[in-house]
Amino acid sequence: MDRDRFIAGINWPGTAVLVFVGLAWEAAVRTGLLEYEYLPAPSTIALGFGELASQGILAPDIAHTLISVAIAWAVAIVLGISLGFLLGLSPVARRYSLASIEILRPMPGVAFAPVGLLLFGFSLKTEMVVTILPVLWPVLVNTIGGVTGVHQRLYDVGRTFRLGRRDTILRIILPAAMPPIIVGARISLGLALVLAVVAEMVGNPEGLGYAIVREQQALRPDLMFAYIVTVGVIGIVLNAGMLALAKASFPSARQLRGG
Amino acid sequence: MRSAPWRQYFTLVVEALPSARGLLPLVALLGVWQLLQTGPSPYFPPPSDWWDGLMLLAKSGRLYPALSATTITLLLGLAVAVLIGTGMGLFIGVFPRLSRAFGPLLEFLRAVPPPAVVPVAILFMGYDERMKLTVVVLAAIWPILLNTSSAAERVHPLLLDVARSFRLSAFDRMRLIILPSVVPAILLGIRVALPVAIVVTLLVEMLTSIEGIGALMIGAQRNFQSSQVYGLLVLIGLFGLLLNNVFAVFEAILLRRWPPKTQSQNF
Amino acid sequence: MTSTEGRSGADEKAAGPAFECRSVTVEFPHKFGRKRIIEDISFLVRSGEFLTIVGPSGTGKTTLLRAMGGLTPTASGSVLVHGKELDGPPEDVVIVFQDYSNALLQWRTIAANVAFGIERTLERRETEQRVHDALALVGLEKNADDYPWQLSGGMQQRVQIARALALRPAVMLMDEPFAALDAMTKASMQDELLRVRDRTRTSFVFITHDIEEAVYLGDRIAVLTGSPGRIDRIFEIGLPAPRDQLTTRQLPKFLEYRYAVHQAIGRIHG
Repeated sequence: MDRDRFIAGINWPGTAVLVFVGLAWEAAVRTGLLEYEYLPAPSTIALGFGELASQGILAPDIAHTLISVAIAWAVAIVLGISLGFLLGLSPVARRYSLASIEILRPMPGVAFAPVGLLLFGFSLKTEMVVTILPVLWPVLVNTIGGVTGVHQRLYDVGRTFRLGRRDTILRIILPAAMPPIIVGARISLGLALVLAVVAEMVGNPEGLGYAIVREQQALRPDLMFAYIVTVGVIGIVLNAGMLALAKASFPSARQLRGG
Repeated sequence: MRSAPWRQYFTLVVEALPSARGLLPLVALLGVWQLLQTGPSPYFPPPSDWWDGLMLLAKSGRLYPALSATTITLLLGLAVAVLIGTGMGLFIGVFPRLSRAFGPLLEFLRAVPPPAVVPVAILFMGYDERMKLTVVVLAAIWPILLNTSSAAERVHPLLLDVARSFRLSAFDRMRLIILPSVVPAILLGIRVALPVAIVVTLLVEMLTSIEGIGALMIGAQRNFQSSQVYGLLVLIGLFGLLLNNVFAVFEAILLRRWPPKTQSQNF
Repeated sequence: MTSTEGRSGADEKAAGPAFECRSVTVEFPHKFGRKRIIEDISFLVRSGEFLTIVGPSGTGKTTLLRAMGGLTPTASGSVLVHGKELDGPPEDVVIVFQDYSNALLQWRTIAANVAFGIERTLERRETEQRVHDALALVGLEKNADDYPWQLSGGMQQRVQIARALALRPAVMLMDEPFAALDAMTKASMQDELLRVRDRTRTSFVFITHDIEEAVYLGDRIAVLTGSPGRIDRIFEIGLPAPRDQLTTRQLPKFLEYRYAVHQAIGRIHG
């Protein structure tokens, strides 16, 4: 019964289109229909994967980028949630900081790359300069929104049970604000990946971003595409992972699927 | 509410802004920096030096061409992205079977972040303005296309009944009902595409040194002109801020005929 | 009855029935084949007549209306407007939907909404004239430049009616148009509709589940019951005109009709 539903639930036309495009691409390149120096066939790209993996280049590149992502994201979460709570709970603090946040928020991360290079040259720290601020915003903004958005009714419930300040925060505000905070964390994670890749393209020559540029300059499009696909897959995995984690921890929250 | 007089609009905008006292942290940071940093420095030049650096660039005649190059690419790229994205989005939205068939393919393509595609463009198209424009269009098109197609799919069935009941041609139905219905979604897509487009434009300029602010920044960094780097950073920040706010005003004006809930929300 | 006064007898269109259903049956695809929603529906509507169709929920009232408006194809039987069989939405027939909010173009002004049906076929001056007349008929001249979302539910429904009237249709099909309104607005809208009917030559087919509304408004009532829905009976309403919310509803005849319709509905339901 479940198997039938599963089969019926698969997007057959969609999968068919994907497979068809892949095969058509392969055929077009092989038969010379699409003769373009820099457009490799899917099979060539797959071989490129193998080459990178066997030469032991792929894993360290992935590891470097993931480390960069992990550090930036961790900092963003710690800083974003704590600052977010502070600002969320204190209207005074908000009044004296929101305008600054609104001005800094639209800063494109890539613009920090020259500054990072200036200060730290080619190093992981440069990647951090590019990544940290933009990745902080979604968590911070969503935490503030989550805390300020706690329904008045919940506060009333807390007062009926005579909860003190600390208990109110821990047992009412924190759980109520969790869904938007998690959404913010998920957005930040995806953003951290993109920015790490960007930072590695223009800043620190290590990791997946640098690898893409390196293979482009070496005129190895097969390897370049292999790295690009890797970035895409990592992005999908990270996002799916966060969604699963969120749904497991808060099975009742419907807002988690947003964004 | 007849069409609100401009003064009423102005008050609304001003009231929606966060308190100016919120600028304190930023001003304080700059102030302390300025006071602590007494002389020129390769790493942390004082804010006053930033201004001098920018002026130097302006006087050497390199600032304005770079600024206009970046702005033109950005605006042109966005315009093209809106045209193509809206067109394709409407097409996909109106034929939901198409959207189901192309869904996974689009999702797959969407998973690759636009910056990662920049080297591909460089490889395929070389180091020129056309490549830069193409990349911006490719990066900006996704949010617009996706928002438009999802809104086109969600046009209320009753409105479509009305269209049929009044015997509208397919062209008229698109023009008079579907297109106006998706305008709020298109604007939302543009608002999301704006920062992506800015990032990609700067990225291309930094990687290839094609004329633009990004190229100026990388050039300044390579010459260890730290004050110019910081000055350009502030410039980019203000530029982005200006662009966002001009667009927000434009959006508010365009959406004044729509019920308020479709307009953008700030907390 | 006042509705027949002031009309030229030489008018061809006024001769035969404005609207006719002949043995209309509508089916929808269902899990194991097709489900019959309404079956063997036959009735006719004379020019200038107000026919109400009343029945409990789920009997296919909306389906019938959509079939009459050409939005839903019939499995068998035919719908005729001025003797001509339907093939898609006919020109002389206009539908007023229950969900006024989603049936109006929220981004257009009231005037532009009312003009929606005629702007493509008429000259600008005539369009403006008709829009003005239609708005005057429903009492919304002052709101011509407002947007639908700025108006109350009753006013929005009046806009939809004005939009329909601007077309000068032969038949106006109304799908429980006042169901979403509060009692007082509903009462004033009912009277307004009767006034509109008196001043134009339009025939009305009015669907409702409110029996009192059906008796109050109708010249004739068709009772739709059962599953699949069938027309059980058609009553001639011999109440005097003009109708009045207070006095008409207290007439013994009103109560008799009300009782009879209740009975007719209850009979097949058991």
